[in-house]
Amino acid sequence: MRLSELQVGDKAEVTGLEVEGSVRRRLLDMGLISGTRFKVLRVAPLGDPVEIFFKGMYLSLRKSEAEGVLVSKQGRIGDSLPMGRQLYRRRKQGGVL
Amino acid sequence: MTQLTEITVALAGNPNCGKSSLFNALTGSHQKVGNFSGVTIEKYEGYVDFKGYRIRFVDLPGTYSLTAYSPEELVTRHYLAMEHPDIVVNVIEGPNLERNLLLTTQLMEMEVELLVALNMYDEVEAQGMEIDVKQLQQLLGCHIIPTSAKARQGLDRLLDHIVRVYSGEIQIRKNKLAFRPEIEDAVKAVQAEIRHEPALDGRKYRWMALKLLENDREIYREVHQSPVWLKIERILQQAMETTGKLYQADPEILITEDRHALIRGAMEECVRMPEARKRSLTDYIDAVVLNRIIGLPVFFGVVWLIFHMTFTLGTPLMDALDQLFTSIALWVSPLLTNEMLRSVIVDGVIAGVGGVLVFLPNIILLFIGLSFLEASGYMARAAFVVDKVMHRFGLHGKSFIPMITGFGCSIPAIMATRTLKSPSDRLATIMIIPFMSCGAKLPVYVLLAGAFFPPAVAANVMFGIYMLGVLLGLLTALLLKSTILEKESEPFVMELPPYRWPTLSSVLFQSRVKAMMYLRKAGTVILLAVLLIWTASNFPKSAAIERDLALETARIEATVLDEEAKALELTAVENRASAAQLEYSMAGRTGKLIEPVIRPLGFDWRIGIALVTGLAAKEVVVSTMGTIYSLGDVDEEDTELKNILKHDPAFDQATALSLMVFVLLYIPCVAAIGVMKKEVGSWRPVLLYSSYALTVAWVFSFITYNVARLIL
Repeated sequence: MRLSELQVGDKAEVTGLEVEGSVRRRLLDMGLISGTRFKVLRVAPLGDPVEIFFKGMYLSLRKSEAEGVLVSKQGRIGDSLPMGRQLYRRRKQGGVL
Repeated sequence: MTQLTEITVALAGNPNCGKSSLFNALTGSHQKVGNFSGVTIEKYEGYVDFKGYRIRFVDLPGTYSLTAYSPEELVTRHYLAMEHPDIVVNVIEGPNLERNLLLTTQLMEMEVELLVALNMYDEVEAQGMEIDVKQLQQLLGCHIIPTSAKARQGLDRLLDHIVRVYSGEIQIRKNKLAFRPEIEDAVKAVQAEIRHEPALDGRKYRWMALKLLENDREIYREVHQSPVWLKIERILQQAMETTGKLYQADPEILITEDRHALIRGAMEECVRMPEARKRSLTDYIDAVVLNRIIGLPVFFGVVWLIFHMTFTLGTPLMDALDQLFTSIALWVSPLLTNEMLRSVIVDGVIAGVGGVLVFLPNIILLFIGLSFLEASGYMARAAFVVDKVMHRFGLHGKSFIPMITGFGCSIPAIMATRTLKSPSDRLATIMIIPFMSCGAKLPVYVLLAGAFFPPAVAANVMFGIYMLGVLLGLLTALLLKSTILEKESEPFVMELPPYRWPTLSSVLFQSRVKAMMYLRKAGTVILLAVLLIWTASNFPKSAAIERDLALETARIEATVLDEEAKALELTAVENRASAAQLEYSMAGRTGKLIEPVIRPLGFDWRIGIALVTGLAAKEVVVSTMGTIYSLGDVDEEDTELKNILKHDPAFDQATALSLMVFVLLYIPCVAAIGVMKKEVGSWRPVLLYSSYALTVAWVFSFITYNVARLIL
């Protein structure tokens, strides 16, 4: 599934990036790496771009850029799953840290 | 007084981390603004004297990361790697510690002497967030000082730490960021190769190796010429294969992931977030401001407000300045007996300086508004709201506000494009701003539409002219983006920073900087050009015309007895003489010279003159026409000029429309050209733009003229 296919209110986790060059770099720098959990907050009044929220940051991106972000949908609106902690747990289990 | 020892400190941090406020709070009034070499990114420098040292701060542009993709990142990197500041202070937005730490890890990789200012610490405490500063300090291997620029807390402690770190009084065990073994192996191997290259002597080997693994373009450009590149390339290839097999990812991603993993770990160990995240102020404001239904109305309301503040408040000030210069001219002219000298000083210098200065109120007001929007966090939201439309024309959401500002005046609008990060977006926006019909073009429309159309139609004609400008501007952007300019604009991955009340000092500072920039750089170009146009419309002087004028005057003085009639006739004679003089001058000759070119548009040489002098400022078109028609000084409300135009056989509705279109589209005033040159950095694009604008103006006037003649 791709970020661009999510609905407003959905929570999801990044599973990978399918873009190249500067867009990919920007997404990585903003923290959209595998394991980041975010919530889709809203779509702009004209239908593009979208706004997501994770790790205390409000981030907006065009649908064309959101298409390059692979996600897996987990949780629903209002559930108590913490956002953005999956990566840390996985690393801890894997023993890389 | 003895010379103070200087410590150079670079301030680095994310956008919106409060870096500029901290810079202002630290340096007070000892600031100067320049540019980083080769780019139009402002470089703020300031100093403060502290405990026998002069601490010189350089405020680097805000960046999220240190890759080589944006000019800001390149400038920051270049400064850190090449200028070797004594200490780098990494300013961190406390409430968003986690995201801000990414830059910190990259600064650690650059092996600079690092100090962290944990800014907005008062907000951290207010939110109930707990940060174990000591622990974090040990993990990162650098001193961390909680500060708050707004509340002026921790500033002295920061200065004290700078001095003590500089003098070696306090030290901390540096920590090296360790990546996963596969990456570390590759880094070590590449590092060993770089060491063999004498051309790279003294550089930061580990950092370069890491950057090469991240496919960094700049470092690649530096290294790939070297003989060691062959070996390095093989190592990189191998690393790619290994990581691909193990993790199904390339080193670039893994390096970033490891940085985030370290940050994640640090966050887990040192930071306790409040139990439940409350809906913040930002959430509440955005629920309204970015709402699907009222988001756009709110946006237009804000734009309207800024526009009105700038021009409704600015116009009286502008008029007052104009008045001031007129009175100075009136006061000075009787003092100068030499006619020639008087003309130079009054019509040339005073009018010229006045012409530059009148724009100041608008510039200052607009930038007070814009820096408020930028610092409060709304600017990014504005871009978010309109991006879809702008993107369709190859522009960025952020292009909208400069574009709208262009309806008031192109000069502040062109300067406002600095919020655009990608050079190609910025250039495209600058080039379409003059198509937005500015305030100075309005008098021309009022005169022509008023003279040739009944009031009800005149308003529609004017609206049509404005719309034509917008349409052609957007199409121009599309054309530029699909031909000469890089199509790929700045990726729209943009933070919407939390709303904050901006500090007054930083808002005022920004507008002061813009005002100074305008005066210093553009002022010289503009003044020169105004003087040039003045010379062109006054020289050469015809002795014959002056002799005739003297003869006529003498004749009237002698023959006409009635005082009132005498005065009237004298003015008429003088006006005729200045019309003849203008025709004889260089501007007049240019008008005649270009007549064959503008004939197909319905213009004769007189309009040609007005177009030439209109380069000084668009409203001059009206006053020049007054002079040409021997009416002396007139403005657009002058009924006599309207009547004369209406009855002039060379003028009809088609000509009027054609002239309005031409004035809308042809080259903007010299002031705007001066600022444009300053902002794009070279003449080439400006000349290119000018010839494009002239062509477009000619073509559309031609079409307008001929279509209008068929229909009307």
